[in-house]
Amino acid sequence: MANDKVYLLIGGAQGSGIETTSYVLTAALARRGYGVLSNREYFSNIVGRHSYIQMAVSSEEIPRSHTFPVDFVGAIDAETVFTHYDDVREGGYLLYDKDTQNTRLIQIKSMESELAERLKERFQELGIELKLASLIDYLANNVGVKVIGLSYRAVLDKLRQKYGLGLAQLQRYRSSIPIGVVAGLMDLDIDSVVYGLSKRFAGRQKIVETNRFLVTEIMEEVKELYGSPLKLEKSKLDHDELLLVSGNDIVGMGKAVGGLRFQSYYPITPAADESLFLERYESLRADGESKGSMLIFQTEDEIAAITSAIGAALAGVRSSTTTSGPGFSLMAEGIGWAGMNEVPVVITIYQRGGPSTGLPTRGSQADMLFSIFAGHGEFAKIVISSGDHMEAFYDSIWAFNLAERYQTPVIHLLDKFLANSITTLPVPDFSSIRIERGKIILEADKGPFKRFDTSETISPRPVIGSGAITWYTGDEHDEYGHISEDPVNRDIMYEKRTVKKLELIDKEVPPEERVQLYGSTDADFLLVGWGMVKGPALDALRELEGEGIKGAYLSLRMLNPLPSEYVLGILEKFGQDKIIVAEHNIMAQAAQLIRMNTGFQIKKQVLKYNGRPIFKMELADAIKLLLEKKEGRVVLKYAK
Amino acid sequence: MQSSRLNYKNDLWIDWCPGCGDFGIVNAMVRAFQDLKLDPSNVVLVSGIGCSGKTPHYFNVTGVHTLHGRAIPFATGIKLANPQLTVIVNGGDGDLLGIGAGHFVAVGRRNIDITVILHDNQVYGLTKGQASPTLPRDLKTKALAKPNIQDAINPIALAIASGFTFVARGYAYWPEHLKELIKMAIEHKGTALVDVLQPCVTYNDIFVVDYYKDRVYKLENDPNWDPVVKENSKDEVQEKQAKALEKAREWGDRIPVGVFYRNPHVETFEERIAKFNPLYEQVPPVMQKIVGEDGVSPSITRDDFRRIFEASLVKVEKL
Repeated sequence: MANDKVYLLIGGAQGSGIETTSYVLTAALARRGYGVLSNREYFSNIVGRHSYIQMAVSSEEIPRSHTFPVDFVGAIDAETVFTHYDDVREGGYLLYDKDTQNTRLIQIKSMESELAERLKERFQELGIELKLASLIDYLANNVGVKVIGLSYRAVLDKLRQKYGLGLAQLQRYRSSIPIGVVAGLMDLDIDSVVYGLSKRFAGRQKIVETNRFLVTEIMEEVKELYGSPLKLEKSKLDHDELLLVSGNDIVGMGKAVGGLRFQSYYPITPAADESLFLERYESLRADGESKGSMLIFQTEDEIAAITSAIGAALAGVRSSTTTSGPGFSLMAEGIGWAGMNEVPVVITIYQRGGPSTGLPTRGSQADMLFSIFAGHGEFAKIVISSGDHMEAFYDSIWAFNLAERYQTPVIHLLDKFLANSITTLPVPDFSSIRIERGKIILEADKGPFKRFDTSETISPRPVIGSGAITWYTGDEHDEYGHISEDPVNRDIMYEKRTVKKLELIDKEVPPEERVQLYGSTDADFLLVGWGMVKGPALDALRELEGEGIKGAYLSLRMLNPLPSEYVLGILEKFGQDKIIVAEHNIMAQAAQLIRMNTGFQIKKQVLKYNGRPIFKMELADAIKLLLEKKEGRVVLKYAK
Repeated sequence: MQSSRLNYKNDLWIDWCPGCGDFGIVNAMVRAFQDLKLDPSNVVLVSGIGCSGKTPHYFNVTGVHTLHGRAIPFATGIKLANPQLTVIVNGGDGDLLGIGAGHFVAVGRRNIDITVILHDNQVYGLTKGQASPTLPRDLKTKALAKPNIQDAINPIALAIASGFTFVARGYAYWPEHLKELIKMAIEHKGTALVDVLQPCVTYNDIFVVDYYKDRVYKLENDPNWDPVVKENSKDEVQEKQAKALEKAREWGDRIPVGVFYRNPHVETFEERIAKFNPLYEQVPPVMQKIVGEDGVSPSITRDDFRRIFEASLVKVEKL
């Protein structure tokens, strides 16, 4: 019997190649038309700490969330088995290296002491000796996990014999072993795997060939011993091509289509990969022909990143900078200058766990309120957020359009969960994409120009170099941009840049584009969230619907200005008892934002702030729990 | 008409203290623009915060009065988006060498084709006379409660060490000489520094006009002084830089002004970009079309998109 959905987890030491494992498998599965969502969890470390990828694969849709337990755990090392022993379902499969079976928990120095201690306690409760072999026995005999024990040394020895690889080279193939096992269990054909390998190792035929041999050997053996219990049905997705993209990639692609010409950045996790991706495409070359040039500019710090991006925007190009929390903190003053001078600049933030360095490689949604209020004084600022990869693509273009139409900084608030999730995505539809440059003037008459003409809220904007002579200053200024402390002028300018601009945005941008309601207002309850909560939220709702509980989801996309009346209208249709907010922070920032804008208080909250994504099953459980209460807060804990 | 004084200077009242050295800088800049016949609509003055920060407002060219310390990165973004512009930074010593020192160093590494005019008066004027990074240790200017206990930065030496390819010092009360330095700096291809000794008449009672008048002397009066790199051999560059650094240390009875170092042979940042990205040089980014023929769609079509990002595309073949 074939499946329509399979969940996989593959773990190993950071630097051991599991990112490649993930890429190859995702490409292979995409080749056969399956939808894949692959998340990566890792430490702030180059080599040695435990990392893992989690893949959801579907024959019916592009998966939106992850859940536990999974159907398969593939362990490249003993630490993975210890860490994820309870992540695999009853009847699921565990791959491990038989050569590590004598490894004792205490020998795993790369494991954090807190986890080692928790595992020790738990294993003692379960009567498991603190040794891998004992844990494996327990999983096989007590939990009903089907254990696939391979001697990795023996597998690699075959490679050595056939290809004469050295010891160091051979070690790199450890991460290919799970590819073979997954291919066997899922009955993937070798051609699709070779396709994935060839995409990953383009031009390196030897590596492709060696891997092909290894994967073929293993998958045949697995099929013989276990059959292919995780085989998927033929894909029902109707795409003849799929993009294989991370969140960082798709945002870069959106910016490129949106006309990006200048992007500054200072290296920071998990944002830098977007700039590195764009740098590879700086010349926008299609079959050798350059369709434009994007300058990807690595600065000396985030202050230079935001200020150089503002400079480029003043000169008339679409300009952005990309960062995460610590870098964004440094940008606050620059953003204020952009607000004061009505500069269209886009700041893309991939939130990670804070405060300070926090959890640099883990996700969070704790910077919403900071983004909305960043910068001293008061000025209009647009903050938008995307719920998935496809939204992030369109929103990257939308951000530039909003910035230029309203001549104000736009913050595109994303997170690590998006940044490091690889998915299979149809090539976006371009028919609705618009490039709206607002009141930009690229060629003007020579001479002084009133850049801050107050006859309209949004003034014509001749760019520097257009011919017009203009002045800009962080000081309060007159219509020409010269310093003015005159109180009458102050009021006019202050109102123009703040409430008038916000009112204009509120009036012109339809609320349906700013928040998205999934499901109907006559549902049994309303879940409210933003950003990447969308995926697990929609999947949890679907699961609950299967149990007879019908819910709706309100995804907040434009956080500032929030379409207050529209949101309030939806909330009031449900009423306080039926509304739950779900987000990745402790302060329930979206709930606070709603209360600030509408006066409506959401009293039920599902929060997660340990840096790991919200999983479908825990969200569904939390909703059920809260539906029975008048108010309450559930903190989600599932994490590895 | 193009080069008349009025075209570069507007009629805003300049609110610097009477006798401020900044007036000399403005005069020298105006005369330099006249001599070079710069198109006012193609010149951008970028400043930081403080008295010097107001400079752009007094000119009839585009002015960008930015944040404290950040004039250089703002100028960098402007120049890189439109390399055809003449971009000049005006900043104080506190601005460029204190809060903005990191950017001062970084711009030297890049050799972006911009000019940096340093208003060097050893104090923070607008905040009422605190010690700036160029005030020597143990000196007590009049607003200080006690003598300065931090050592001074040497702007000339720092610029050379950071990679500036044109390094000069001028004196605000010698506008004709300063004008020539500014002209050379603007015409120089690469990052240029003009460190201008600019007495603060209100808060600096040590480095006053009387102090400078008998001490400053012109480097070019020495017929053997040759700061220009000609062959660009490694040895020649090192020798010229060493001599400039040695000269930069001279501060006391005699204070040199003039060109300390000039190397016109170093690739600019813009040229380095164009090496990997030829279109950048052919069509400045701001001139590149991002909107398609219909005026609303992106210039990159869906088909372009598929070809540009082909490496990320998987062709589906269902079995």
